[in-house]
Amino acid sequence: MGWLQRIRNLGRRDAVDAEIAAELQSHIDLAVEEAVRAGMSEDEARRAARLRFGNPAAVKETTMEADAALGIDGVWRDVRFAVRQLKRSPGFAVTVIATLALGIGANTAIFSAVKAVLLAPLPYKDSGRIVAVWTSKPARGESEPSASSPGDFAVWKQKAGVFEDMAPSYDDEMTLTGSGSPQFLIGYAVSANYLSILGVAPAMGRLYTDEEDRPGGPPVVLLSDHLWRTTFDGDPEIVGKAITLDGKRYTVLGVMPRAFNYPTSVQIWTPSALTPSASSDFSHTFVRILARLKPGVSAATAQAALNRVEAQVAAARPDTDHGNRVVVTPLREQLDGDIRMPLLILLGAAGLVLLIACANTAGLGLARAAERHAEVAVRLALGATRTHLVRQFMTESLVLAIPGGMGGVLLAWAGTHSLLRLFPTDVANLRIPVVQAIPVDRGVLLFALGATVLSAVLSGLAPLWRVARAADAARMKESARGTTAGAASNRMRSAMVIVEVALSLMLLTAAGLIVASFEKAMNAGLGFEPDHLLSIEVLLPLNRYPSSNPQKRQQFTENVLLAMVAKPGVLMAGATNYEPLSGFWGTTNFLVRGDAVPALGVGPEADDRLITPGYFATMHIPVLRGRGFTAADRTGSEPVAMINETFAKEYFPSRDPVGLELNLGSGQKPNWWRIVGVAADVKSFGRDQPTHAEIFRTLEQVPFPLIAFNVRTRVDAAAFVKPAEEALWSVDPDLPIFQAIPMEELASQTLAVRRASSALVAGFAGLALVLACIGIYGVMAYAVTQRRAEIGVRLALGAQRGDVLRMVLGSGLRLALIGVLIGLAGALASSRLLHSLLFQVSAINPFIFAAAAAALIGVCLAAAYLPARRAAAIDPMRALRAE
Amino acid sequence: MAKNDLQGTLDLLVLKTLAQMGRLHGYGIVQHIHRASDDLLRVEEGSLYPALHRMEQSGWIGSEWALTETGRKAKYYKLTVAGKKRLEAAEKDFEELVRGVRAMLRYA
Repeated sequence: MGWLQRIRNLGRRDAVDAEIAAELQSHIDLAVEEAVRAGMSEDEARRAARLRFGNPAAVKETTMEADAALGIDGVWRDVRFAVRQLKRSPGFAVTVIATLALGIGANTAIFSAVKAVLLAPLPYKDSGRIVAVWTSKPARGESEPSASSPGDFAVWKQKAGVFEDMAPSYDDEMTLTGSGSPQFLIGYAVSANYLSILGVAPAMGRLYTDEEDRPGGPPVVLLSDHLWRTTFDGDPEIVGKAITLDGKRYTVLGVMPRAFNYPTSVQIWTPSALTPSASSDFSHTFVRILARLKPGVSAATAQAALNRVEAQVAAARPDTDHGNRVVVTPLREQLDGDIRMPLLILLGAAGLVLLIACANTAGLGLARAAERHAEVAVRLALGATRTHLVRQFMTESLVLAIPGGMGGVLLAWAGTHSLLRLFPTDVANLRIPVVQAIPVDRGVLLFALGATVLSAVLSGLAPLWRVARAADAARMKESARGTTAGAASNRMRSAMVIVEVALSLMLLTAAGLIVASFEKAMNAGLGFEPDHLLSIEVLLPLNRYPSSNPQKRQQFTENVLLAMVAKPGVLMAGATNYEPLSGFWGTTNFLVRGDAVPALGVGPEADDRLITPGYFATMHIPVLRGRGFTAADRTGSEPVAMINETFAKEYFPSRDPVGLELNLGSGQKPNWWRIVGVAADVKSFGRDQPTHAEIFRTLEQVPFPLIAFNVRTRVDAAAFVKPAEEALWSVDPDLPIFQAIPMEELASQTLAVRRASSALVAGFAGLALVLACIGIYGVMAYAVTQRRAEIGVRLALGAQRGDVLRMVLGSGLRLALIGVLIGLAGALASSRLLHSLLFQVSAINPFIFAAAAAALIGVCLAAAYLPARRAAAIDPMRALRAE
Repeated sequence: MAKNDLQGTLDLLVLKTLAQMGRLHGYGIVQHIHRASDDLLRVEEGSLYPALHRMEQSGWIGSEWALTETGRKAKYYKLTVAGKKRLEAAEKDFEELVRGVRAMLRYA
């Protein structure tokens, strides 16, 4: 007997049922038989036996229960019973399922994003030890970590001793011709060991070796999978073939695997081929470094070690390296540093919503448990055990939670698509990974299951406790009405509501702070007018527009501008080298004539921008002092420059900069430019980012291969993309276009993370508010029903209806106030966590906190009003009679 | 007294009955307990049958259908080896319980 029999009994449920019925029947028959032998009549005997025996159904049930194998049979019965019970209160079931679906759905959706972005294992060998190394120059006014010099790289590689391997790399965009229409490719020149640090091997072909990675080495290239599939049609014979990059023949050495995407969007990899002399170049910073830490060494340790080495370099070379700070960033942070905190904040907010939903459900469940006193009593009388009842109610919780969970998964699945808005794709230099899709996969479903079970447990605990106590009370034969069990249950419901209100307040304040930050960021203004402005960027291929022939570049720019302006619907056009908001920029050092030369020999740094005379007008950037550039400022005439407000305020706080001269060369080889005007600031790095000091010169006087044309159109800029491309190709038909995008879109994308986060958190807060409203209403309504008699007595004894109204509202207000106070404490303690999403808004903003509290109290009062009115409308006679 | 103690006592009575009488059906067990206790103990059928099935699940008694002397079909129970051991332990527990209660009642 034992387990085997139990399992067999599972299958033979009906048979067992019949057997037990037969056994019980035979008992009765034997009793009847004996009674008849003792002299009773058959009928009397049967009646007596039945009476003695009790309720056969109940006995059968309890007997069956003893037989119930492994509890599974019982669970299935419980489920069916639960479903039947819930069908009798459809309103309750639907409310709970909807509430849980929203809560679980929100959490699942955000978790799927977190999993896809933050938790997805990096496809590199031992990725926890891979780091990127950057240099920041706070002494030069540049605190953002940026590329390093090859000289620094050489020293660090030799001396730092904390890395197993270190590899240099740099941007190397090239133009592909001869394979379909000319294409502008994002390229990356990497050393031979770069890819081996990542532990990646080509899917086809091979990597180049250290010997091949030298200046004058063979021109070889690795293609990305995407490039191979699209431009080269997935040619299986591509390895060994030659392609033309920047006019030169390169041999394809291999194709990288499909999933490989570091750095993001790179299409070709070429040998870095750094010359030996590069290792003594400390002034040009263009090297991006990837390294693998030695086992047991942390990024922080490596950073400290590198800074010690760099301090020595700075002492030996103060003119280039003074004040350099080295930053070591783990690869993971490199890829998702800017989205990590926002995502986690969203997950926290969604979690709060789920907790509120559970509190709501628990409250509703408590009320329902109280109403089911009679049912519980009857079931106990029929022989149900306490464990059985507990199991029954737990099952009911699960029966509600599981459809809620499934609904949640559906909602999440529908919602992940809109979550993609958190990941803008057109802004360079943001540390946000490229995310094509957010799948709802096994891990996400497991999370949803976990959330469902947690919800069931949390929302079922309180009613369960209630039922257990009711079971005990019934066993002790106490009256179930108006007992201590009732009062404790009320306290519990009030506690649930207080919890709900507190959590809602925390969400409301968070939403308030985040939305206010978003508003501030939106209104921060860019410094230029992005509406009706098209940006079209090109990179002049160096083989056809060499730096030895600046006239060709100038000619090109001028002709394109003329062609653009000639198109219908165009108001004006201008060009620059580094487009604002594109994430690209360059810098230069400068000295002011007449000012004391700094002890280090090299002056501070400012952003270096080149523009055409029409640029400021096209962009609607006002010139604040002096004059803008004109056509007269060209090669041969006096070298002129403009500066921006930030520059003027920082370096010329008390004098007029117009007329002063800047040396953009060096002490030995000066390169003087006269300042002719001051332009208003532009938020080139985003509305919520600080402005840099900027120096402007004309493209005429400093031709540059990267050119962004800005066209101010009369109508929608997006409609002008085709005409703009035509204009460009009318001047140079072989020129690939890097990016053509309305500035409005670019401007909107820089706010993408903020916008999406604000919308989501505001949505969660709204949901929380609705749930809190329902919660308060439920508690108040139930309290009024319970206190009917008391209210009736009060009214009968002369209380006014207004008094009753005030009494009920007062109790609701009391709950709300306690909840708000607790919530305020919680919000104060936790709002610092939001700082990565805040902009020009302090984490403890009294106005927002007060507004949130007021809103919540208002909602609570409104929710309590209806029950209060019903209480005031109670007819005392009816209430007392019903007692 | 908590439910468990009552349940334990019922188990004890049933096991002892089967030890004394060998094979017996449910009705017979009820009658035997009633007689052997000088009419002092009455077992509720509603408690007996769940207890019988539970003890069978636990492996202390075995069952089989058979005919009574009068030719009726009934389910007969008998003690198993494990049941005998269980009976000894239950008897000891009960003695202890009784001694403890008596000592408490005599305490001045």
